[in-house]
Amino acid sequence: MAIATLTDLTYSYPGRAQAALKDVGLTIEGGLTVIAGPSGGGKSTLLRTFNGLVPHFHGGRISGSAEVMGLDVIATPTRKMARNVGFVFQDPELQTVYNVVDREVAFGLENTAVPRREIAGRVEEALHAAGVADLAGRAVRTLSGGERQRVALASALAMRPNLVVLDEPTSQLDPDGAQLVLAAATSLVDEGKSVVISEHRLDHLLRQANGLVLVDRGTVTTADPARWRPPAPPVRPVRSTALGGEAWSLQRVSAGFDGQLVLDGVDLSGRSGEIVALSGPNGGGKTSLLRLIAGSLAPLSGNVSRRPGRVAYLPQNPTVLLHLPTVRAEVRFTLERSGELDQPETILNELELLPMADRYPRDLSCGERQRTALAAVLPGSPALVLLDEPTRGIDSSARGALVALVAHLRDHGASVVLATHDDELRDALADRVIHVADGRVAEMAFAVTT
Amino acid sequence: MNARAVAAWSACCLFVVLSTTNPVYKLMVLAAALSALAAGAGLRRIRGLLVAVLLISAFAIVLNFVSAHLGTTVLFELPAQIPALGGPYTLEALVFGATGGITISAAILAAAPFSLLLASHEVMDAVPAPLSRTGVAIAASLNLVPGVATSFVQVTEAQRLRGWRPRGPRSWMEVVVPVVLTSVEGSIQLAESMEARGFGSGARTTMTSHALQRSDWMLVAASGLALASFAVSHAAGWSTDWFPYPTLTFPTVDPRPIAACLLLFTPVLVWRSRR
Repeated sequence: MAIATLTDLTYSYPGRAQAALKDVGLTIEGGLTVIAGPSGGGKSTLLRTFNGLVPHFHGGRISGSAEVMGLDVIATPTRKMARNVGFVFQDPELQTVYNVVDREVAFGLENTAVPRREIAGRVEEALHAAGVADLAGRAVRTLSGGERQRVALASALAMRPNLVVLDEPTSQLDPDGAQLVLAAATSLVDEGKSVVISEHRLDHLLRQANGLVLVDRGTVTTADPARWRPPAPPVRPVRSTALGGEAWSLQRVSAGFDGQLVLDGVDLSGRSGEIVALSGPNGGGKTSLLRLIAGSLAPLSGNVSRRPGRVAYLPQNPTVLLHLPTVRAEVRFTLERSGELDQPETILNELELLPMADRYPRDLSCGERQRTALAAVLPGSPALVLLDEPTRGIDSSARGALVALVAHLRDHGASVVLATHDDELRDALADRVIHVADGRVAEMAFAVTT
Repeated sequence: MNARAVAAWSACCLFVVLSTTNPVYKLMVLAAALSALAAGAGLRRIRGLLVAVLLISAFAIVLNFVSAHLGTTVLFELPAQIPALGGPYTLEALVFGATGGITISAAILAAAPFSLLLASHEVMDAVPAPLSRTGVAIAASLNLVPGVATSFVQVTEAQRLRGWRPRGPRSWMEVVVPVVLTSVEGSIQLAESMEARGFGSGARTTMTSHALQRSDWMLVAASGLALASFAVSHAAGWSTDWFPYPTLTFPTVDPRPIAACLLLFTPVLVWRSRR
């Protein structure tokens, strides 16, 4: 039975001439449907039509028709659709209203005036369905990213929707957290709910999906999930230079905040022309380690040293540094400040950003913004490259471009440190892998395959 | 601990401290608020707040001391030719400044339980039904505050590594603009999430009951009695006002307003620690 039917649906965001969705004709059946496609292609826009955020929240122009769970989306406000369609967003931190788990899960029930005597039972049921019954009563700020995202899933489930929509729910999670969220989401299908999910980690999902929708440049097509194969992982670039001398080192370094030790007695170093990957769970200390190497975080004890030269640092949430009117201006800003002679177009071309060079960076999709931030920090010839989750939200094509760019910097003598959960990126680039957890570091056995 | 009971006690403290000029009664309110916070949060948790309150009070004292050259008990004198600072420095001005400091401190500490002892949802549940949606919006926006601080640190670090240096107020635009843009985007995403969960559908319910427990009723009753007693004392002239100028005198004290102020110590008996 069809749960959603879109007919000749065309949608444009306010102030944009180009349509984000073009003449979409699509029928979604029950069960698990996976939405895939390149970043900036229109996946998030399509998902938002299922609960009416497009067009009711975002505005813009829409034509055609969209019917979800028997409701006319264009005529039904999102707040009414909320009773039938649950929605989980990408960023777990930006969808939390209350600071206690139970209340957070109850928020939708309170909004739809569910009688108080029913709320506690429905909250318990939703927490159980999302696999986080043990989190009841916890303060939201104490939860890990994976736990927060499952609480967000529970919040959607509390409304007892027939359709649950998830927009890249694992893009900011470590592998364990991501696996738990995906397991919770797919188990909903066994309970008779329909699930539509947009994801970049497709292998596990495609095995269980009964529908696959591909979205690219606003055009929507369907494919057989059993036959379709995601793009191949990036190939490991061949090294063209040997490793150089020591570029940075940490000797018996401890660091922390508010009296809490985040890293304890760390001894680590990296060489010119070497790529070191940091792995480990969220909150394990990877970002603190990068900030120590960059010199942004002062150690509580021990010594940090780095060779002279420019440091290129991509922070964990890179879009925070975007503040100029165009993508090109962001790159030029770094080049001018660092006295580099390169042209912005060089790196824009390498990261496939030339077509959007004159666009406002914050109007871009999540993956495109990530690439813009990479272009803004990596132009020229940095001596030390520190990247915190550089592939967050970006598609396989952009990942390939990033691999080539980082390999190019390495071959020109840059020392690179990446904190990443992305196994494909690590396999394509890393010379060494360091596991960072509970304030300690340990070198992992890592076989380089070419 | 019920937010409505806390509101009743806070309102009563504010009424007393703002309706009298008598420093003895103001000091009693200050002591009551301090004791209440110590009982509810523990001295360790309120240490930062106490430091802030002391600094604000010190500023009020110094400001009055250097600007009000009134009173007869001259401590020292600066030449009148010095603009703004010249003239006699008096004991009366110092004491009046201290009274101002006590007023500000007592008011801040009396309002502090809302942030120190209650969670945002507890405060929101106490908001009358017609204002509940506004309350939710405020609570949600408060959740974004820590994110703004984090953004500020991240942006400053990232821009520094892109070659930015703080050179005058204009250079800070390169930090402030992305922080503001990020905060606005965060707010929009939160609003989108709230909309997707039915916010604005109409009348709301709440998960928890607002019923006052016995200890809450005790606090409400004590606060109401304190307020009524102090208002009557004021009207009857028992809580005499006090003014240090032109010559400093000791304030007059009456047992009836003192008894009213003592009722404000009730939280010490009924608030269990939320450390």
